[in-house]
Amino acid sequence: MELTADRISKQYKNKIAVDRLSFTLTEGVTGLLGSNGAGKTTLMRLLCGILVPTSGSVACGGMDVCTEEYRDILGYLPQEFGYYPEFTGRDFLLYMSAVKGLPRRDALRRTEELIELVGLKPVARKKVRTYSGGMKQRLGIAQALLNDPQVLIMDEPTAGLDPQERIRFRELIAGLGKNRIVLLSTHIVSDLEHIADQLMIMKEGRLVWQGKWHAGKEDLEAFYISKIQDER
Amino acid sequence: MNSEMMRTQIRALCQAPRPEGKEAFFRKVKAQGLLHRRPRTISQWEFAAGQFLYIEKWVWALSVLLLLLITAACRRSPGNEPFALTPFLAAGILAQTGRSFRWKMAEMEHAARFSLRSVLLARLFWVGVVNTAGLMLVVLLVRPCFSYSLIRVFLYMMVPYLTAAWLGSVYERKQRADHGWGSVLICLLSSAAFAAAPAFLAGLYEERLTVLWAALFITMAGGLPGSIRNWIARMEEPVWN
Repeated sequence: MELTADRISKQYKNKIAVDRLSFTLTEGVTGLLGSNGAGKTTLMRLLCGILVPTSGSVACGGMDVCTEEYRDILGYLPQEFGYYPEFTGRDFLLYMSAVKGLPRRDALRRTEELIELVGLKPVARKKVRTYSGGMKQRLGIAQALLNDPQVLIMDEPTAGLDPQERIRFRELIAGLGKNRIVLLSTHIVSDLEHIADQLMIMKEGRLVWQGKWHAGKEDLEAFYISKIQDER
Repeated sequence: MNSEMMRTQIRALCQAPRPEGKEAFFRKVKAQGLLHRRPRTISQWEFAAGQFLYIEKWVWALSVLLLLLITAACRRSPGNEPFALTPFLAAGILAQTGRSFRWKMAEMEHAARFSLRSVLLARLFWVGVVNTAGLMLVVLLVRPCFSYSLIRVFLYMMVPYLTAAWLGSVYERKQRADHGWGSVLICLLSSAAFAAAPAFLAGLYEERLTVLWAALFITMAGGLPGSIRNWIARMEEPVWN
């Protein structure tokens, strides 16, 4: 399966957030790097079908990204998300399972599995409002995985996670990326260093570099800075 | 060679071969579990029914309380004042329209299979159906207390309710980040307007103006789905901002 963006742009009044990007994502982990305001979040929303491009198109395996069929295979973690105040962690996952269309029995099974996976079992029946930032982020990661997505898009997934959790998360993503399309955005370069198969570097709405990344061959941070500076 | 002949010849040349081993191929993929790999998903109806459980309890409590209050007020003093209480019923509906945005769930719901539109429409459907059914029941219960006909009591109940719901839906479409206080204010103002209206329009509840009430009812009942449709159509931008 391939996720293909064909000359997509997104314009807001007098600001072009994404400027004529074309690329194809294949199975594996793709890292999206860029400074704040580079257009990473807008690009991710376009790839999820949340935003409609001003021009161009996005398709996955022949499906338009605005279709229900595409959303059925999509897992998305937004940069910022909330929760209904009456929800416990378990309620939150069951609710998202319902919106993702999982039958009740599957929803219960997946919820238990994912609560275990993200290490929230002891607090699963506590209100989400009592969770720490890292716990909420892990809950967000769990909801993105509920429908066993073939396309996983995560916007700043490691924000708020402590170093130990980040290592665990990296291992999880590396495993998931073996047989699905995973796109991660971050500005913490070390999060991608050992797990990204491909890299995309964005600046001011444009892709300044895109290609395969071979871990250990080069220092990613230095590489990223050099690419950003080349563009000046 | 004319174009028709050319088309016929091209069609003959490009004839797809008959599929060989098609049945065997499908048997093989089925045996390997490659067909229908995606887990079964629930239907639109199952989803809509499930959303009933996710409507906040206070919405139902408010509806029950208001319906009881309207019934009691109509029985105690069967004047025109109790009709002005129905706009408060719209608060429950309006609370659902902005809920996903207020609690920052909209983006996640938007990217899920049933999407934000289905979530909102399912909730609006349930609250709307329950409130309307409740009001119908109240109309039947309190009708003997009034000298008005059944249709007039129905119109006097429904028009203030639909007015508040329609104005509130327009407001919610434009303003989403005020935690619903604007919609509460609209319900309050609608209620006050209908309570004060007879002082300015003396014959408002007279039989000769039933046509006006009916026209208002048709306008509001027709305008409300249109307003919701416009709002749903513009669902993209709210998520962004």
